[in-house]
Amino acid sequence: MLLQQLVNGLTLGAVYTLVALGFSLVMGVLGVLNLAVAELFMLGGYVGLSLILADYPVAVAIAGAALVTAVLGVVVEKVAYQPLRNAPPIAPLLSTLGFSVIFQTAATNIWGSDPLLMPPDLLDARYRVGSVSVGQAQLLVMATAVVLVAALALLMRHTRFGYGLRAIAENRDVARLLGVPAPLVTSGAFALSGALAGVAGVQIGLHYSAITPYVGVEVGLKAIAVMVVGGTTNIWGVLLAGPLLGVLEVMTVALGGAAFRDMTVYGLMILTLLVRPQGLLGRAGGAQRV
Amino acid sequence: MLAVRNLAVRYGPIQAVRDLTLEVRPGEIVALIGANGAGKTSAVKAIAGLLPHTGTVSLGGQPLPRRAEYALRAGLALVPEGRGILGQMTVAENLRMGGYARRDRAGLEAAMEEQMRRFPILEQRRDKLAGLLSGGEQQMLAIGRALLSQPRLLVLDEPSLGLAPIMAARIFALVEELRATGVAILLVEQKARQVLKIADRAYVLETGTLRASGTASELAARGLLADAFLGTVTQAPPPA
Ligand SMILES: Nc1ncnc2c1ncn2[C@@H]1O[C@H](COP(=O)(O)OP(=O)(O)OP(=O)(O)O)[C@@H](O)[C@H]1O
Ligand SMILES: [Mg+2]
Repeated sequence: MLLQQLVNGLTLGAVYTLVALGFSLVMGVLGVLNLAVAELFMLGGYVGLSLILADYPVAVAIAGAALVTAVLGVVVEKVAYQPLRNAPPIAPLLSTLGFSVIFQTAATNIWGSDPLLMPPDLLDARYRVGSVSVGQAQLLVMATAVVLVAALALLMRHTRFGYGLRAIAENRDVARLLGVPAPLVTSGAFALSGALAGVAGVQIGLHYSAITPYVGVEVGLKAIAVMVVGGTTNIWGVLLAGPLLGVLEVMTVALGGAAFRDMTVYGLMILTLLVRPQGLLGRAGGAQRV
Repeated sequence: MLAVRNLAVRYGPIQAVRDLTLEVRPGEIVALIGANGAGKTSAVKAIAGLLPHTGTVSLGGQPLPRRAEYALRAGLALVPEGRGILGQMTVAENLRMGGYARRDRAGLEAAMEEQMRRFPILEQRRDKLAGLLSGGEQQMLAIGRALLSQPRLLVLDEPSLGLAPIMAARIFALVEELRATGVAILLVEQKARQVLKIADRAYVLETGTLRASGTASELAARGLLADAFLGTVTQAPPPA
């Protein structure tokens, strides 16, 4: 029973992790919260599910969703960030809030406000390991997350784009002095951030077997909590905090009832801000930039 | 090599640099000296393409691109004030960043090894986070990193800032060595007396305006150094 909840929690945690990485990438590069990531996640779910309903293979649905949300991520950057580069940080925050509302309204208009349901027989096989039963969809969700996280880590450590991104995240002027084309790499970060969120959206669709226009708010806020607990721009912290919060949430529901569901997750976020503001793996002194 | 004409930089109402004209010829070490707030950093940041400015800047007869990432590709490397070490990256990764704009992978690897030989301490610390290096080690890393872009002109903004005198002396000796390799150097400093021992010529900046220029002995003879600086060289350097 507890083990079963652990598996369910890890699945949810995998989704939170990817969305949190989406937030964290932009946060790292520009030091601003891109609220639109949450709704790119939701749109990714709709695009992916629509492709699945149109009989495309799941892999194509995931790739298609990633592509659409990557492009939209760059649109958000060009419209909501670039013109506001020298404005106070609240300005881009508000303009991404605007994008969030627009994306949500667009989804409601295109797909309606009722949940869009996945074909019931898709990935419905279940595997038993001892007393634990793992769904095929769950396995896929976790496997995609593991692969993407590993790919992201390799990208950051071993490619020019990764080096440029890390340099800009640390010091934009120094990165430029070293030859990093900052505008291009910044756009790349927004595209990558959007793609990660979009894939996570397909994952949540597979996990819940449905998608609604409101899933972005629900999961997006939790991903922000994950990012804060992990330490804003610390990828490894996010990897730890994502599964942790997923499991915590599922366990809270199992042991305390649905009424307490979100209290523990956000409670942990507030606790982190109070006692360890740099996050689980953040460095002391490196205050969070939200 | 470097020709700057009528450079002006402003921050809103503050005019940090006005009408600065200077030149660095091939193989020269040229010093840009001035007290705190004189506008030295503003001038070199503008030259390197980090600050909006008016006036013209050219390198090797060609106009220098006005954006830092392209000025670098044109052959100008700036080691910024405070060194600009990427503290979350390792020493080796910092060096690799110095070759970011290079396309020749093999050449870059060889050049990285060359800088590690030049600065054995960097070789020893290669996989350490660069933020953990001492100030002097960071300055060596910053200079080694800048050299990896194969600059024609190296601009150093107060490389001795915050360093113990012995380390500052080592850095100045290194700058002299570098000139021998053929790179032209524009050296920003407050420590006028030390710098003038190695510089071929100097420009003296005072509240954003060029006060004097010439060889070390010319400047000393005109008593301008005492006027502009000797008050500041005795001050303790600010912490890095
Ligand atoms: N970002 C900025 N915004 C507004 N004013 C600035 C800014 N940076 C520098 N200034 C002002 O411009 C003038 C020149 O500063 P600058 O840093 O170029 O001097 P400096 O000669 O490098 O001084 P130091 O020796 O202390 O490094 C100063 O009056 C400074 O206060
Ligand atoms: Mg300065």
